[in-house]
Formats: sequence, structure tokens, C-alpha cells
Amino acid sequence: MNKLLNIAQAVPRQFVRDYAFKSDLKIKWVRPEKIASIRPEKSGDLGKLPPLNVNEILPEYKDSKELQNADETVKSLFKLNNNRNHLTTRYYRDQMVREVQRHAQDFGSMEARLAKMTAFIRRYQEHMEQSPRDRVIKVRLKELIEKRKKFLKYLRRWDYPRFEWILEKLDLVYKPPPTHFHWITRKESLQKLTDIYCDNIKEERLEAYHKELQAQQIPYLEEAIKKMVFVRQEQIDCDVPVTVTEQQIDEARKELAKLKEVRDAEAAVTRKQSDDTFH
Amino acid sequence: MAARGLLLMGQCIPCVKQNASKIRIRRMELDKNLNMYFKKDTFFFAHDPQKLCKTGDVVLIRELPERMTRLITHAVEKVVYPLGDITDPITGKKVVVGKYREDIEMANQLFGKSAKAFDYDKAPPRGRLEGTKDFTHGETYIKYHEDGKDQPFAV
Repeated sequence: MNKLLNIAQAVPRQFVRDYAFKSDLKIKWVRPEKIASIRPEKSGDLGKLPPLNVNEILPEYKDSKELQNADETVKSLFKLNNNRNHLTTRYYRDQMVREVQRHAQDFGSMEARLAKMTAFIRRYQEHMEQSPRDRVIKVRLKELIEKRKKFLKYLRRWDYPRFEWILEKLDLVYKPPPTHFHWITRKESLQKLTDIYCDNIKEERLEAYHKELQAQQIPYLEEAIKKMVFVRQEQIDCDVPVTVTEQQIDEARKELAKLKEVRDAEAAVTRKQSDDTFH
Repeated sequence: MAARGLLLMGQCIPCVKQNASKIRIRRMELDKNLNMYFKKDTFFFAHDPQKLCKTGDVVLIRELPERMTRLITHAVEKVVYPLGDITDPITGKKVVVGKYREDIEMANQLFGKSAKAFDYDKAPPRGRLEGTKDFTHGETYIKYHEDGKDQPFAV
């Protein structure tokens, strides 16, 4: 210990970098790109709104007989495409709610509200693609996404079967929030990556050692049987009390046969796998 | 200590260990200085090879006579309250928030139930969307590294 202390004192302080240890492992850290919270991959929307039918008429005038007999210019005035934008949004909302609602008058149940929000969210996301600088819609969209996430959280706690059903129906992904927030830093990320690297090395070496020991098993048993047979024969020949029984030898032989079987089966499986990957 | 076979009730928490479940026992601890109670969590690993309990379930765990591994000290006895599938202990009926499922169903029938609406009888058991749409069975983390592979639990 004293020796070590002497050495440490002998080296000038500025050459000992224990105050800021720098790893010489070749781990490359790539900072993940920031994804805006309003993007579908972040909000959990897997599905998209279906494209609008060009000849879709306003829902209120769908059954109108006069419109059916009217001429083309009048008809085109009543098409969804040629009307205000929010009417299309409403059309999509009604379509989505109708898919999940409990009965024709149901607009307030959790699933109906979630469907309504999802329709709006997807509509706004389409809008944000075209005009990314629309801050009003951006804020509204973000708040809607957060509210929907909260509602999904509640629904999961209240009624799990319905939660799963609605995820499937609306094509959503639900990920629970992480336990605590922290900024992503180079230092912490590198620490985590180093930990993973070390774990992998440990695993690999243990695996290799395990294989090495396994490879020694069969030769060892063969050798042991040979020696047991020899010792038994010698003991019989020299008229000394026999310590190695036939039973012991048989047991060892059985064990060897079993081990060989297992190894053959393993080899066959690995061969098959490699063949599959090759083809 | 170990001979007691102590029973504890707690909530199942996401856990990476196979054939074990992580159980959170939440107790209130008195802070004598402030004269107020605060939550205090203790975590136990319970042996659970069949994965009886899923994340969020309230379960009973029993202390093992001797610890199985360094971490596993308990075994899952039974699931008391599965998450989101609550049965009223007095009437034995299924409940959603403040209403019986029966009552909700009756209202739907009166209004004329939609054919596309959700039906409890057709609902498969929990866990079919694990790993595809529902990621509550594991712990999520903030994405800190881009390695080109898919990281399902990264947020």
C-alpha cells in the first residue's frame, strides 16, 4: 500500500486523469433525432384517414331527391370537396364515431369520444403536413393528443377488454410514460451503452466457457469408462478387493449414450437452422 | 423470518425477469416531523412461472420458506383484482367505474345496440396486443441512442 502511495505521489497530478476518466472503448453514440410530439409516430396513430371520395355529397343532402335530378353545376356545389374544410372534418368524425359507438345516439361514451378525438387528430396532422407553421392548430393538436392519451390511460384502468378493443379499432399504439423525465446527454447515454457493452462481453465469455466445458464432457466420460474397466480388470487379476462394480460402469456408459444423443440432436437443429438461413 | 409464510398484497409492476413478477407493496409512513403520512414502496420479486399476474393486477404473494434465488423471496398466491376487470365483491357483478356492466348493456339494448359496438362475450382474454399496440407489459424509457434497430419501448 505504501509503495502504491509513493508511486502515486511521484507522478505529477496533472498526468493522472482519475478526475475525468475517459473511456477508450470504441462505442459510437448517435443522438436520436427529435420527433415532434404532433407527428403520428409519436402520437401513436398507426392508421391514416381514408382518402375522400371525389363525388361525396354533404351528409345532409345525401337523400335529397331534388339534388339527384339537378344538373351537374348544382350537384358540384353540394360536394364535400367544394365546401368548407370543417365539413369534411365533421364527415370524418361521424364516420369514425359510427364505427365504435354503442348505439345511434351515443356520442359521450369513452370510445365515442376517443374516436372523435382520433378523427380530429388525424385531420389536423394532415393539415400540419401542408402548413407546418400554423401554430394555432399545432397547439390544439398537441393538447388533443395529450388528452386522448390521458383518456386511454383511464380506460385501461377501468375496462381492459374495451381498451384493447378500441386500440385495435382505431389503430392506435399505447405506450405508458417513462417513470421519470431526464434530458438526453452524451455522458449518461455513453454510460448506459458501456454498461450494455460490458454485459454483452460477460454473457459472451460465460457462453464460451460453457461451450468449452461441454466439449470436455464426452472425452472425459470415455476416458473414465476406459479407466474403470482397466482398474476393475486389474483388481480381479491381482485378487484385491474389487471396488469398481459393473453397475458403475454401466451407469457411466448410459450417461455417455444419453449425452451423445443430446449433442446429436443439438447439432441437427443448428445444421437445419444454418441451412434455412443459407436458402 | 422466513418461517412465517407471510401473506402480502401488492400491485404487479413491469419486470424483465422471466418466471418472476415484480410486486410493489405500498404503505403509508408517518413523518413525525411534519405529522403527515407519505407513500412508501417496497418491492418484492415473486416466483411466477406461468405468469399469472399481468402489469397492474393486485395480487397476493406468500413468503417462501427459504429464498429461491438472490432476489426471489415470494411466490404469487393468487390474483385478487385483475386490472380493468373489476367484480363487485358484494353482488358478484362486473363493474365499470360507477355502473354495473349489466346496466350499461341494458341501456344499450333500450337505445338499440349497434352491431359494431363492443361486446364483452366476444372479447378475448387480456394480452393479445402485447408488443404490437399495447406496450404496458414492459417499462418504457426515453430514447437515448439510435442504433438502427427497432426499439419498441423507447418513447
